[in-house]
Amino acid sequence: MDAGGGMSGLKAQSRPEREPVMITGMAAVSPLGNTCEAIADNLFAGRSGVTVVEADPTARTPRQFVAAVAGVGAPAGIDPADFAQLNRLEQMCLAPAACALADARFERGGRPRLGLVLGVGAEHLKTWELDYLAGGSLVFEPRRDPSLVHRLASRLGIDGPAVTVAAACASSGYALALARSWLESGWVDACLAGGCDILSPTSLAAFYNLRALSRRDDDPTKASRPFDRGRDGFVMGEGGAFFVLEQRDKAVARGARLRGELAGVGMSSDGAHMVIPSSDPVQAARAISAALTDAGVSPAEVDYVNAHAAGTPVGDVAEANAIRLALSGATDGVPVSSTKSMSGHLVSGAAAFEALVCLAAIDRQAVPPTLNLDEPDPACPLDHVPHVARSHPVEVALSNSFGFGGSNLCLVLRRAA
Amino acid sequence: MNDSACRSRSGLGFVIGSHAFLEVRLADIGQLRDRAAPRGSPLLPPRFLRHADEHTVVGMQVVLTALAAHPAAPRIASHGIVAAPCQPGRIVGAKTLAEFGRGGGVTVSPHVVPQCSLHSVAGAVSVALGMHGPHLGVGGGPEALGEGLLVAAALLASGGDPGCTGVWLVATEWDEEPGLDAQGVPLTNPACRGLALLLEPVAKPDDGGSVVAPVSFDIRMTKPPHGPRLHPTGGLVAFARAIGMCREGGALASWAVACPGGGEIRISSRFQPAVSRPAEPWMRGAA
Repeated sequence: MDAGGGMSGLKAQSRPEREPVMITGMAAVSPLGNTCEAIADNLFAGRSGVTVVEADPTARTPRQFVAAVAGVGAPAGIDPADFAQLNRLEQMCLAPAACALADARFERGGRPRLGLVLGVGAEHLKTWELDYLAGGSLVFEPRRDPSLVHRLASRLGIDGPAVTVAAACASSGYALALARSWLESGWVDACLAGGCDILSPTSLAAFYNLRALSRRDDDPTKASRPFDRGRDGFVMGEGGAFFVLEQRDKAVARGARLRGELAGVGMSSDGAHMVIPSSDPVQAARAISAALTDAGVSPAEVDYVNAHAAGTPVGDVAEANAIRLALSGATDGVPVSSTKSMSGHLVSGAAAFEALVCLAAIDRQAVPPTLNLDEPDPACPLDHVPHVARSHPVEVALSNSFGFGGSNLCLVLRRAA
Repeated sequence: MNDSACRSRSGLGFVIGSHAFLEVRLADIGQLRDRAAPRGSPLLPPRFLRHADEHTVVGMQVVLTALAAHPAAPRIASHGIVAAPCQPGRIVGAKTLAEFGRGGGVTVSPHVVPQCSLHSVAGAVSVALGMHGPHLGVGGGPEALGEGLLVAAALLASGGDPGCTGVWLVATEWDEEPGLDAQGVPLTNPACRGLALLLEPVAKPDDGGSVVAPVSFDIRMTKPPHGPRLHPTGGLVAFARAIGMCREGGALASWAVACPGGGEIRISSRFQPAVSRPAEPWMRGAA
């Protein structure tokens, strides 16, 4: 494929045979619930997790629309008193990470060589802010503290490689992609991967001042409206998801439950602007196409696209064009929805959470809706699923994630075979 | 997977196509934002680095320096980049929090998120140089270099971007974290170090001589029990020095360090002839 912009690589190509990478454990914290079942129930019922909070005097607006996580409890195996001492970002990562590991059901004493890839985009900025708001002065002090990923690895007993990756709103998706690569390289036997993000006063203010947030102030559940003519920005959320990945042969050998396959990964960069997505869809389409090729899937075999679509005027159009370019003539028969209309935008945690949404679509054989899609923007001509979920056979689902700096990522999720 | 990556069951090998190392004092970073790029490197858009974090300014300069030193003209549009800064955004973060404490959300710059997050160094280089391979921020803490090495190697070997012909690894850190007053103003003048490596697949003999560097780079994971999680011995400076010695064909023919999770990173001399390529249009001063 011509990375310089050519589209010659959009045809499906043969790929080398390799062992499929399966998902054998998963967990999430989100504005739509903290269990996979609750999240799926809310998604397919079309319930919004966006609420209004009466903001303090430092906020940019007196009433702030956010999609917040109601509360996170200490996971099994972690002392609640210790858990309560952690900052909110660490709690929001540790809880689903530990639950995903537990969900994988490794035998006691029989845990394989395990790695950890954490997708978090602004760990230090958030940590300094939480400390500052609590009266601390960490940010002013000339010190270096261990990163969150290594503290997590230590708490979870993970002794393999552990890294943090960041690609803005695609961060946690890149974590999954990297974990898959480590498995295929033989560096680990299993890998815990995912990401999470939290709301904070300065990040809300920064995105507001960037004019990226919706400025609606009526009904909070109406504010996030991807692909709608009336969209005016996204609603910030918090949360994320973690997965345990293993190669199929090893997972089957230990009797693991196969929750789905991470069948393909595609990535590219716009190389165009630090904030605004490129109006040229070629690079984003190239990521989608590469993911399909990697999975050995043709556009006609795609059953569902979970769009990145955050509800920004420019970004949604750019993505619609990329989907149409990558899927070509198959677009009309492929339902597309943006679940950010319900969950808000989980930023670093969005990509992993939306991978979980795709697995829920495969599990329930239905496509979650895009809320508030009252009047689809004609510049986004896709097979939308407005307002209510659609019963639909889903074997293969795509999840797009696009981040600041023109970072493009597409994951292909497939029913476990 | 990239077929020309040298792969074994638990190891990945590449060549280092170019490298550079810089140290810049905090007081000098301001003028570096507007300084002309090194001869032979691409022109940046005007004022591109105006809002950039110090790690980004140094990261950009060290990539431009390595590009200028490259014996050929790499196809940079098909490159990706992994940038591994240690605690980026601290000076801006401190000023932002101090101002937020006084004046609330209206004082927060919209540039903080795109310019001072972990992905920002990689994003800025990717945008400035028109890279279409993937770009990622990695690490962010004291072990950023080791994490960056693991990610860069895996990225180049993965099938996520079959068009990717090279991955840059950029690592940045302060020699000592700057002390800041309560307004976020630096009280010290530390040096920001930057290392840039261009990792390229090991070329096959019939590739027409795409190998342009005499240094190989291998990562291999050990079997359990894992070793201790370590930052590469001696940190960024020692790592850069070892690469330089290997590239010059000096007495140091091989150098290995432990990396996070019990792996091993080995750098060794691999003498192969350099092959020139035609200059690309963006190359200033090219013949």
